Amino acid sequence: MFDVINKRFWFFLISGLIILIGIISLATFGLKLSIEFSSGSRLRLTFDEQQVTQEQLQQEMANLGYPEAIIETELLATGQGDFFIRTRELFENEKDEIEAGLEAKFGKVTEQEFGHVSPEAATETTRSAAIAIAVAAIGILLYVTWAFRRMPKPFHYGTCAIIALIHDTLVALGIFSLLGGFLNWQIDLMFITGILAVIGYSVNNTVVIFDRIRENLLLNTSADFEITVNNSLVETLGRSLNTSLTTLVVVLALFLFVGVSIQNFVVVLIIGIIAGTFSSICIAPSLLVVWDKGEWDKFTRWLPLPRSKA
Amino acid sequence: MFRRNALFIVLILILFGLALWTVLPLDANRFGREGMRLGLDLIGGVHLVYETDFPADATGEEKARDMQRARMIIERRIDKYGVTEPVIQTQGTERIIVKLPGFTDVEAAKNLVAQTGFLEFRTVERNSEGGAVYLSNYLDSSGNDFFDKSEQGNRIFVDSTGSPLVFLTKDEEGLKFTDESGNPIDTGALPAEARGSLSWIAARGTDGTQLTGDFLDNAAPVVSQEVTGAEYQVSIEWDSQGRDVFDQIADYLYHSAEYGSPLRALGIFLDDSLISSPQILQPAYRGQAVITGDFTPSEVEDLANLLKSGALPMPLKKQPFYQGKVAGTLGADFINRSITAGIIGIILVMLFMIAYYRLSGFLASLALIFYGVLVLAIFKLIPVTLTLAGLGGFILSIGMAVDANVLIFERMKEELRMGRTLGAAIESGFNRAWSAIRDSNVTTFIVCAILYWVGNSIVAGEPVMGFALTLFIGVAVSMFTAIVVTRTLLRILAHTGLSRKTALFSSYRRKK
Repeated sequence: MFDVINKRFWFFLISGLIILIGIISLATFGLKLSIEFSSGSRLRLTFDEQQVTQEQLQQEMANLGYPEAIIETELLATGQGDFFIRTRELFENEKDEIEAGLEAKFGKVTEQEFGHVSPEAATETTRSAAIAIAVAAIGILLYVTWAFRRMPKPFHYGTCAIIALIHDTLVALGIFSLLGGFLNWQIDLMFITGILAVIGYSVNNTVVIFDRIRENLLLNTSADFEITVNNSLVETLGRSLNTSLTTLVVVLALFLFVGVSIQNFVVVLIIGIIAGTFSSICIAPSLLVVWDKGEWDKFTRWLPLPRSKA
Repeated sequence: MFRRNALFIVLILILFGLALWTVLPLDANRFGREGMRLGLDLIGGVHLVYETDFPADATGEEKARDMQRARMIIERRIDKYGVTEPVIQTQGTERIIVKLPGFTDVEAAKNLVAQTGFLEFRTVERNSEGGAVYLSNYLDSSGNDFFDKSEQGNRIFVDSTGSPLVFLTKDEEGLKFTDESGNPIDTGALPAEARGSLSWIAARGTDGTQLTGDFLDNAAPVVSQEVTGAEYQVSIEWDSQGRDVFDQIADYLYHSAEYGSPLRALGIFLDDSLISSPQILQPAYRGQAVITGDFTPSEVEDLANLLKSGALPMPLKKQPFYQGKVAGTLGADFINRSITAGIIGIILVMLFMIAYYRLSGFLASLALIFYGVLVLAIFKLIPVTLTLAGLGGFILSIGMAVDANVLIFERMKEELRMGRTLGAAIESGFNRAWSAIRDSNVTTFIVCAILYWVGNSIVAGEPVMGFALTLFIGVAVSMFTAIVVTRTLLRILAHTGLSRKTALFSSYRRKK
């Protein structure tokens, strides 16, 4: 039988390193926020008459008085490019001036989308998103603590489940910060939706393992908590991997066939499913054991000189 | 036992048949629902959120009442445009949300919604000698009071197109020149010709009632044949009080000024803009009048519609709080691609389940097909507004839908390994997997509920709400299909000869 829990310090180290990279990236690049969170206007245009490059468009926007405009392009199946132009909050007449200016330069322009978010709306959305994630975490903590109320330390289960989901959120945020830094990916509402889906998914996995621990503890299969946890983990390993696999398969199908419109959402899900599977198998149960045994200083002593055998 | 299973299977088949009939074809009319309801991000359209500009002393009760009135007035205005399934909602006490699917003219939509439609009548202010007052008189005067002290309301000065140029109000400190939003302006920077604009004050009846659009009974576009060609006008009808006030004003103007003098003109103001200033031709009109002006046919149509639907009880802030427009081109393509992704996802999951769990995997695959059809039927019937994220949520739920089955089958395998019969393994597999299924799904429900609540409280939350609802329905239905459908199928199987071949149920081989 595998001894997964035995490697617990290694799991902490791996997760810690990944999260550390994410935090460094967050400190360096920060997060690129979409207009839903940062306010401003977004214009999606297609040029019907000639091929326009991103550089040309950027140059022309600067000529029109918008050097700070952020321009992104998305290649459509037709070979034509779609341009997303993000600027500060535009009034209707300013938008018309931009379109007229571009039309004069590049020929006929078709406006596909025009969105506009006021600063008040952006502040409110940011606040709501933060509240949502916090309330979701508290709700889950309370439910898991309640579901494990007959266990010796029910609060431990809830807390470990929450740490696992914070882990997944941090991993996703870190990777998106890198994607934002290098590829200009933005944090939008789809990202937040994806994060919340991942939170639900990750806790779902963790709870299944905890459920087995609960059952084995009640059956009193072993006197040693570490062995009980490890047995429970291995017994549910098939299920954990199979469910992750089936979910990952459909999300990959989404990624390959549906494309850019929900790219953020799908990529968060892919990251989250992988991180969530890892955290529910490797992090949450390990934390339970470490907490139960009070091994925190043992971990810190282990850290500076990692050995292959724990 | 067997009889109960047979009954279950018949019920399941009936439900499946009904669901299939509901869903296929997608655009068919079933139970009064035609097709799927698609969100703005799929079919395109305009999404506007406006904030209201209530006076500071408005009470919560007044606000709530005015918001409902405003919603109904905007609904009436939009009804005229034949938008299918427009959504007009109030959010909180100060926000109005308008969603117009398939409507892509943002400007027209904004006019339709935000135009307050406040119609009022004004006359030219007179000085103590009875002459007309111009802006120049106020600019040159050193006094700090109105020329006509009997009228303390604001004065509006308009430019040659009728747009408001300057507002003159009075507070404790004296006279104040402001723009439309009440910000003070520098009168020195005004163009020279502005000095010649007339001072318009509220037109009042003898008892001081101001003549406004509130006293209108009806408004209709009319075409009058003049020597100069067809002229488009709006004919209006006053209610009984409006008729009296209007006639008192007409009588006063008719007898106090010469024909052609600005003092005999009645200024018709819509949302502070002068739309026309006809001369009063008779001392009494007895409830009928026409609004003339330099109108096009569609303008008189819009104006009549605006006047008939009534004025908004409060103005809306000029720049929308949130505004979005989506071209409809994304929709059809996206739905087709989602369907492809969904079908491929289902097939892959089914192949995996059959390869790993053999015969039970096959039964779970049947349950998965049942799941897909049932969920789509529910989407159509509720109806759930499908958005980009909502469709994504549905496809994600396909992957998660087999989770309950996986939990149960893993348990069954353990039981079989311990040497139980298939029948016993099925029952104990289901019973022992239940607590895990329940607790893990409840956490997902918690997240869905929070997502829905958040989506409902933010301005562009439609995609978030769509996702929450589809995921919730997906997880709930997946519990049902795993616990009822798969179990019934397995139980029936347990009574057949196949049940003794345990290799059909697991890739696990018993060690000899």
